[in-house]
Amino acid sequence: MAPMDPLILSFALVNGLLIGGIYGGVALGLSLIFGVMRVVNFAHGSLLMLALYATFWLQALAGIEPYASIVVTVPLLFALGFLIQSVIIAPLIRRESALVVEPLSALLLTAGVYLVIDNLALMAFGPDVRSATTGFALEPLMLGPIPVNMQRLIAFSAAILSAILLSAWLRGTRMGRAIRATAQNRDAAALSGIDVPLVYAVTFGIGAALLGLFGSLLATFIPITPQVGLSFGIRSFIVVVLGGIGSIPGSIVGGLVIGVFEALASQFVPATSAAILSLGLFVLILLVRPSGLMGRA
Amino acid sequence: MITARPSRLRKGMVPLPGVAAPDSEGSGGGPVGLPGRRRARGGQGGASLAGAAALALAGLAALALPLVADAYVLHSCIVVLFFAYMATAWNFVCGYVGQLSIGHAMFAGVGGYATVLLFTGLGLSPWLGMPVGGLLAAGLSVVVGYPTFRLRGPYFALTTIAFAEMIRIWVENTDTFLGIPLNGAAGLTVPLRGESLAALQFNGKAPYYYLIVALLAGALLATWRLERSKLGFYLKAIRGDRDAAESLGISPARYQLVALAISAFMTGVGGGFYAQFFRYVNAERLIGVDLSIDIALMSIIGGQGTVFGPLLGAVLLAPLAEITRGALGGSFLGLHIVVYGIILMLAVLYLPKGLIAPLRTLLLRRAGRGGAR
Amino acid sequence: MSAPLLDVRGISKRFGGVHAVRDLSFRLERGEILALLGPNGAGKTTAFNMIAGFFRPDGGEILFQGRNVARLRPWDVCKAGIARTFQLSKPFADLTVVENLMVGGFARSSDAGAIRDRAEEIADFLGLGRQADTEVQHLTAFDRRKLELGRALSTEPVLLLMDEVVAGATPAEGQEMVALVRRIRDRGITILIVEHVMKVIMALSERVIVMESGRLIANGAPRDVVNQPEVLKAYFGEQYAAGRA
Repeated sequence: MAPMDPLILSFALVNGLLIGGIYGGVALGLSLIFGVMRVVNFAHGSLLMLALYATFWLQALAGIEPYASIVVTVPLLFALGFLIQSVIIAPLIRRESALVVEPLSALLLTAGVYLVIDNLALMAFGPDVRSATTGFALEPLMLGPIPVNMQRLIAFSAAILSAILLSAWLRGTRMGRAIRATAQNRDAAALSGIDVPLVYAVTFGIGAALLGLFGSLLATFIPITPQVGLSFGIRSFIVVVLGGIGSIPGSIVGGLVIGVFEALASQFVPATSAAILSLGLFVLILLVRPSGLMGRA
Repeated sequence: MITARPSRLRKGMVPLPGVAAPDSEGSGGGPVGLPGRRRARGGQGGASLAGAAALALAGLAALALPLVADAYVLHSCIVVLFFAYMATAWNFVCGYVGQLSIGHAMFAGVGGYATVLLFTGLGLSPWLGMPVGGLLAAGLSVVVGYPTFRLRGPYFALTTIAFAEMIRIWVENTDTFLGIPLNGAAGLTVPLRGESLAALQFNGKAPYYYLIVALLAGALLATWRLERSKLGFYLKAIRGDRDAAESLGISPARYQLVALAISAFMTGVGGGFYAQFFRYVNAERLIGVDLSIDIALMSIIGGQGTVFGPLLGAVLLAPLAEITRGALGGSFLGLHIVVYGIILMLAVLYLPKGLIAPLRTLLLRRAGRGGAR
Repeated sequence: MSAPLLDVRGISKRFGGVHAVRDLSFRLERGEILALLGPNGAGKTTAFNMIAGFFRPDGGEILFQGRNVARLRPWDVCKAGIARTFQLSKPFADLTVVENLMVGGFARSSDAGAIRDRAEEIADFLGLGRQADTEVQHLTAFDRRKLELGRALSTEPVLLLMDEVVAGATPAEGQEMVALVRRIRDRGITILIVEHVMKVIMALSERVIVMESGRLIANGAPRDVVNQPEVLKAYFGEQYAAGRA
């Protein structure tokens, strides 16, 4: 193999870190929801897709700056997540005494949500590719000779910040502690007076609200289509499995690993092969170390 | 078929010595027989006879269909039966062992591509190409299943998606592999030979219809026999409790792989049928997640782990796609999937054993009222 | 005297830093009911699981009918003629009683009709004949325990390993279970039983072995063993509780 230009390689590395951090941020909600509720949310990517469209339409119809639309998308997605949990998933959890393979039922339920949301979006918005544009003039930041895309840097910073704030919130607040207690032992939490259904709904809401945030932050640099969700969803599964399911720092670390892995791999092999490799990495991690890089064994 | 449970029909059987009776087995060296009494019971002969009659009637009606239906209806029926066949093949392993595969399309893809490539490359008749494709799919299933079956629940499901997606992405981006023209995203067309039995190409739809009816009947028969066989009992035991199954002499890995290989073989043959019927295969449709999800959905909604559940699911769901496509045109692209999604959620919440469960209770109650019990 | 049916020779098992079983040796003669006692955490269940093939011993041999089964997987241990029950019964909930009892029969035969007949016999033997076609999820807890036992019998074992057969049972149910175990032994099946309830041990076994901290500390007739000082020391709380049960 020909030696790579170190400049190109370091550019790929920086880009991989940025994208990876963003992957990690997008995956935060999936990890949180799984960690607390043991529910693999198949509709994770679909919620991101909705946030992207919300950002796009807010700009197209009301002229709202994508970065400002956060004040709408975050509460909107929180409400949506809260609703999905309390209307669709809660009945399953209430029925849990029945002898059914529960985690699988939860996966199937959210797969139903995915099918409905993605195809409603396809019907409503059509298959056209859309994009939002920010009004801010964002010049690339020069890191020595390497240009750093500002939109990505903003989203990356938001991912790191969200992970830190989420961890702090889970530790420092009443609701956060209730969520952690429920994650460890649902029955004990219920016995000690925690409103478990509310905790679940809030958890799902926060998981979705994070997607509201990233929907607005990503809308300015990724193409928006009704199908964009699934690829983000699958990538989030990879990130979460890699980092350790339910681990907040693991999500960011997993994202960085995948981002750098894909960026560097695509320097040597076509981008599609890089995608195959990261799926292969996902399978390998599940088979060899299902607890992930940061998870407890 | 018909004599579902032979032991129950032997009414006048001589009872064995009772529990308290002494017996001569004192050695204790070999496997030891327990005393007991054989139950003399009427059984459900009446019900299963009626069921068999109903099945035979349905079969006859199905065979007569091409005589009355027009080409459009027949085409739609073939598509529905194709899905019924694929869902039945999926159910053969997933329904009985309680694992969710969302990657079965990879087996269909192998079967479909192999059938076409063997025909174009070697001139091998699809009549042979389909089973060869099935065998290749079974081979792939062993490679994929061996490591994967250790995983449970969502982990297994996500891994099957990952495997199928790897194969889809690879095929979509590979024009030739070792000299074999895969033709990337464009896919492969079956070269036309006109009306030819050897090339499995017909101008009318009826031959395809009879072929898929035969395949479906074969898959249903295989499942019916599975229910009563060692393999079927073993799969249900693994689904029920893995540790208990192991303690009863069952190697979960081995029997799951056997069932998966059979299921993949049938799915691969189905992929070959798809290729011959549509005369075209491409990775997105034949290996994509959508086909995998459709197959699994129909089986789950109809009732996985039963012989006729997947057929019921396909008959109820597959026409939706045909109707929205036909009647509403392209403007409601995806509408049928929205409906699938809603039905899936309702089924998971309120009918976890599928639509066939209440139907079966109803039928049994009716049969019971008129029958022996 | 012929060779023992089961000859456990110096098996050990560590989990991380914990030495769950150290150098455990004992013998089991044909037709015997041997009870394995010990306080919680003594290593009984670990030893049990090693014999059943669920854990692989770190060292030592388990000779069964002269053959070392220490390295076999659970399904091969079953085929060799050793069946086990679980402490928490693990029924196949959506199968009927008879179907549950049929699964093990396929280890010996592939004639489904004969296996069904035998399963029905076992159901009768357990007193579950009337529930033969009931799905197991509708059974009472005690009936599930009996089913657990019957399922082990369905594999036609030479040696039956039983883990806490009367846990959670009423005294009347306990007596029924004791009678059942005796009748199984009378059929020529050798039994190794892990049990807490002293009354059950007294009623069933001619010989007990006692473990503590992974080691064997006593071996003998139940009445002698329970009066040994080491046993009293290790076991007093449990014995007291069991005596009241």
